[in-house]
Amino acid sequence: MTSQRPQRVKTRRAAQPVAVPADRVGIKTLLFKIVLLAILDAFAVIAIFMAVAKDSPLIAGALALVTLLVNVVYLKRGWLPAKYLVPGTIFLLLFQVFVIIYTGYIAFTNYGSGHNSDKDDAIMSLQQTNLNRVPDSSGYPVRVVEGADGLQLLVEIDGQPALGDSDDPLTPITADEAASLSILQFGQLLERQQELAELAVPVSDDPAEGMLRTQDGATAYPYTSSLKYDKAQDTMTDTTTGVVYRDIGTGAYTAEDGSELMPGWAVNVGMDNFTKALTDSSMRGSLIQVTTWTFAFAFISVASTFFLGLFLAIVFNDMRMKGRKIYRVLSILPYAFPAFLGGLVWAGMLNQDFGFINQTLFGGAAIPWLTDPWLAKLSVLWVNLWLGFPYMFLVCTGALQSIPNELSEAATIDGARPFQIFRLIKLPLLLVSVAPLLISSFAFNFNNFNIIYMLTNGGPRIQDSDLGVGSTDILISMVYKVAFEGANRDYGLASAFSIIIFVIVAIIAVISFKQTKALEDLN
Amino acid sequence: MKVTRRTVLSATALAAATTLALTACGSGSEPAASSAAKPSSSAPASDATLSVWVDSNRAPVLKEAAAEFTASSGVKVDLVIKDFGKIQEDFLRQVPSGKGPDITIGAHDWLGNLVKNGVVQPVELGDKVNDFQEVTIDAMSYDGKVYGVPYSTENLALLRNTELADKAPESFDDMVKAGKDSGAKYPFLVQVGTEGDPFHMYPFQMSFGTPVFGQNAEGGYDPSKLELGNAGGEKFATWLAKQGKAGLFNTNIDADIAKEKFNAGESPFFITGPWNVEDAQKAGIKLAVDPIPSAGGEPAAPFVGVQGFFVSSKTENLLAASEFLTNYIGTEAVQTKLYEAGKRPPANKAAFEAASQDELVSSFGQVAADGVPMPNIPEMNAVWEFWGVAEADIITGKAKDPVKRWNDMAKQVESAISK
Amino acid sequence: MTTLKLTPTRRTFGQWFAATGWRHLIGVALVIYSAFPLLYVLSASLNSEGTLLSSNGLFQAVSLDSYVELFQNPQRPFAAWFVNTLFIGLTTSVASVLLGAMAAYSFSRMRFRGRRFGLVSLLVVQIFPQLLAVVAIFILLTTLGDVFPILGIDNQIALIMVYLGGALGMNTYLMYGFFNTVPVEIDEAAKIDGAGHARIFFTIILRLVAPILAVVSLLSFIGTTSDFVIASVVLVSPENQTLAVGLFQYVSEEFTSNWSVFAAGAVLAAIPVMALFLFLQKYIVGGLTAGSVK
Repeated sequence: MTSQRPQRVKTRRAAQPVAVPADRVGIKTLLFKIVLLAILDAFAVIAIFMAVAKDSPLIAGALALVTLLVNVVYLKRGWLPAKYLVPGTIFLLLFQVFVIIYTGYIAFTNYGSGHNSDKDDAIMSLQQTNLNRVPDSSGYPVRVVEGADGLQLLVEIDGQPALGDSDDPLTPITADEAASLSILQFGQLLERQQELAELAVPVSDDPAEGMLRTQDGATAYPYTSSLKYDKAQDTMTDTTTGVVYRDIGTGAYTAEDGSELMPGWAVNVGMDNFTKALTDSSMRGSLIQVTTWTFAFAFISVASTFFLGLFLAIVFNDMRMKGRKIYRVLSILPYAFPAFLGGLVWAGMLNQDFGFINQTLFGGAAIPWLTDPWLAKLSVLWVNLWLGFPYMFLVCTGALQSIPNELSEAATIDGARPFQIFRLIKLPLLLVSVAPLLISSFAFNFNNFNIIYMLTNGGPRIQDSDLGVGSTDILISMVYKVAFEGANRDYGLASAFSIIIFVIVAIIAVISFKQTKALEDLN
Repeated sequence: MKVTRRTVLSATALAAATTLALTACGSGSEPAASSAAKPSSSAPASDATLSVWVDSNRAPVLKEAAAEFTASSGVKVDLVIKDFGKIQEDFLRQVPSGKGPDITIGAHDWLGNLVKNGVVQPVELGDKVNDFQEVTIDAMSYDGKVYGVPYSTENLALLRNTELADKAPESFDDMVKAGKDSGAKYPFLVQVGTEGDPFHMYPFQMSFGTPVFGQNAEGGYDPSKLELGNAGGEKFATWLAKQGKAGLFNTNIDADIAKEKFNAGESPFFITGPWNVEDAQKAGIKLAVDPIPSAGGEPAAPFVGVQGFFVSSKTENLLAASEFLTNYIGTEAVQTKLYEAGKRPPANKAAFEAASQDELVSSFGQVAADGVPMPNIPEMNAVWEFWGVAEADIITGKAKDPVKRWNDMAKQVESAISK
Repeated sequence: MTTLKLTPTRRTFGQWFAATGWRHLIGVALVIYSAFPLLYVLSASLNSEGTLLSSNGLFQAVSLDSYVELFQNPQRPFAAWFVNTLFIGLTTSVASVLLGAMAAYSFSRMRFRGRRFGLVSLLVVQIFPQLLAVVAIFILLTTLGDVFPILGIDNQIALIMVYLGGALGMNTYLMYGFFNTVPVEIDEAAKIDGAGHARIFFTIILRLVAPILAVVSLLSFIGTTSDFVIASVVLVSPENQTLAVGLFQYVSEEFTSNWSVFAAGAVLAAIPVMALFLFLQKYIVGGLTAGSVK
């Protein structure tokens, strides 16, 4: 039953002249291809029109470019690799490369807590939140009236109706005049909610009495603003203290003494985040320890999961063994459950006083699995092995199939011992197919934030650390603590860190990858 | 026509690509249509649609309130069910992009952060302020302005297994004694966990006269007045070390273990919140709710958490949003229903009175009346960061000098706040 | 193939142990290591009042209440999540195997300018720390969604597209390595026989690498179905969510978590993965025969 299919191809081909059937098939497939391309193009054209209609020239342009590229690649002769690579690459560029570019962009801004939008939003929000009810004022029942130039408020003060709008303070009017006004009903107001939200009627010429505003269209309250926005000068003035806040380019209105009005807005800050990331003194104390542990963690995780996975794959690869299927299925169980659930169960099992491990396996010993710096490291590696070996097991099981049995059979006949066969024949072949994967796996574990966060949250803490860094923190979880500590979510800083870590790991990966070339050439 | 074999491949490859594209486009209109399909209303026609984020527990009640609101005002309400744990982050991210909702449910301790990021706006409750319990309005206030409509409170109290202890303890020592006398395995239970649990320790800390922050003129918390390191704090640290040594507090007891032990009848007392009441009752424990006994002489005031609704700063439906919140969500009827769904004491006074028929609810409510709102200023997050770990170190004895560890922690917090 | 040549006499225990018995020992140890922690999950799912840890002992109470509850909550449509997960997982898995195999084929069999660079870039792209991916993807999808609702937030197709962005990732590497172990002579023989590259790829190579295709589709399925981070940002309304996102809500609220129902959901959610593995196992291992070439 070996090489059945190639043979079949051979026989059929051999029966006829080669060129003729190829051409015949070719026309059909060409038609097929053209039809498909036409369908694709039709959709692309519709999409481009949609984009243009929605006023997104960028999307329309990108779409047009991609469509053009796809057509060229598949219609042009040659460019064979491109025909195979284009579909995946489009997705890759759109969703993965974009993330990198976007993170790179964020790294140069102060995007984060207090700076998460643009300047207009910040101004609007500052004005909203700095309205103060005039002390001891009570609400006025109001009606909203359709005036000549926009909405007006009709108020009754001590039985006397008064009318005003955003430009004119309240002015008394007669009862007859009041009766003749067209009062807007709730349903009508719903159509004009924005206008209503902006409507502020001065109570009198005295600004201290405030402006009437209504949120619900039925009751108005007088407000004074403690912050005055001067559009021409681009300043905010605190009306109670007289302090002037200016836009000095840092993404927030700032007073002379450096105090800022929050919220601010996101601005470009150049290399600031990178400088901060590289010089932050609070990190320096723990940096060496964390970096060493990160490398150790990533390396040991890859090695342990790979060897356990490989070992099991080999053990269960024996045809004579009964029940292999069951063992295989049960061994991928950890992979089939949500990782954090596994993490929680392990955390419970490792509990010093109540956990299964101490209670049952160690007869009630109080071993501090998660609170001793070294045992916690061991526990993290152990749980990561539990979570990660099924992946390697699957991969190795698959990869082992590519190694022709003849090789090991021949070696056995030559008197080689099983372990020799494995080390000298199977392992090198296996490494050809999985070496790049081990590099990826290293990179993955280098940034394996979840396992750390889930199991120990980096703990136990290093006591004198001002950052709350702990013994099991890896670089990425430390970055998380630095950039997202407390309420301060500094996306700009986090991005800068991401890029720095990325560069480090990328260099390691590229260098190791160069080594795999030697392996590959073996084949 | 000469066709190379390459075309065979490209055709097939393209087939694959197109199939994907086809799948993509084929079902294109459906989701859009379904999300736009909303129950038509008989009320005055209006284009206004109010988008409200709500968690799944509260959704059924809000659905009813929303239906009534739509019927009377003509404003459609689009309830988006969100995972409560993700609401704050999503709200912060989506409001600036213009995609956020008009209203969201939330917890009051998010407020400082929301204000700092400019994503919420004040709500004018007017005279209706008096309809709500004072502590809930305080919690929903920031810089002297009310930012949301509260609907319920949540706080710790002392759950007592009445079969093991027949009366409420007068003091901490009293509780420990009664606990030991009961013969149960644990004199009392409280969750600590390896990283400490300052939320559950806070009543004891307060009984030594040590809040986290001092207050400003407006009654809000003042981040520049950190009180953690005061004399009471040092006394509390010493006390905590002593209790840890005696094994009364244990960092290996986490939320699940504490709950399980109490429900198994292994302790007469359990310092916890209303969230554990239902399961304890299911487990057949006869419960009473008592105030938390004082350890340092002053009242052991727990933090009070308040849930409520916030209005987005970028809403285009301010009128509808205010109407919905003040005249529907804030009312006794809706708050009573919310209470029935979640069994948390309502913020609305009248609804609270009604709910107080339930003895346990009224007891929790009474404890809340002596409690203090959990700080809603953004600086609080810097406190959580260091607070619990220091307590855990003191309890386990890892910190040789509890007072020094406590003061170091206060310094760390101070430097984190000023950063 | 490798049929065991049994001697007519009965094997002694020693012989049996030397041949396969020790493997069973390892197998049993492995099952304990991998499955024991999950017994807690199973036990929690059967005890509707219990917590996840149940330090009181496993399987003290056994009832199916949590499983029943799982299907009776209209706010949390478990059945819909299940279907969504299967749809998203299978679609992504099939599409990424195809995209990945095509890329792996060209990297393995063709020599072109930029090939090394392409391989290195693939590697480098996937080691980018994804700490902020969620923010970027949200921005991207809201922008796209404004123009094409199908690619916007809360759309499963959009989510599949995002997953396909990772199709040329680790999996391509895995397949690439595997393709390299298939002797080039096979291609060449077919080429001499007049088969085009597409025919070689689809009818010969893909069959030869069936084991790895099965492995990759399984990995991709698991990766997709267990993803929480991206799915929770993209899928908003309950009826659109996947199991990972939906179930998490049972435990995400600090004080009102329901571990029992969550555990029940997790147990059921693991079934498709196991079923898929059982189904694919014969390809993963059975592919052996196709791989040997004379």
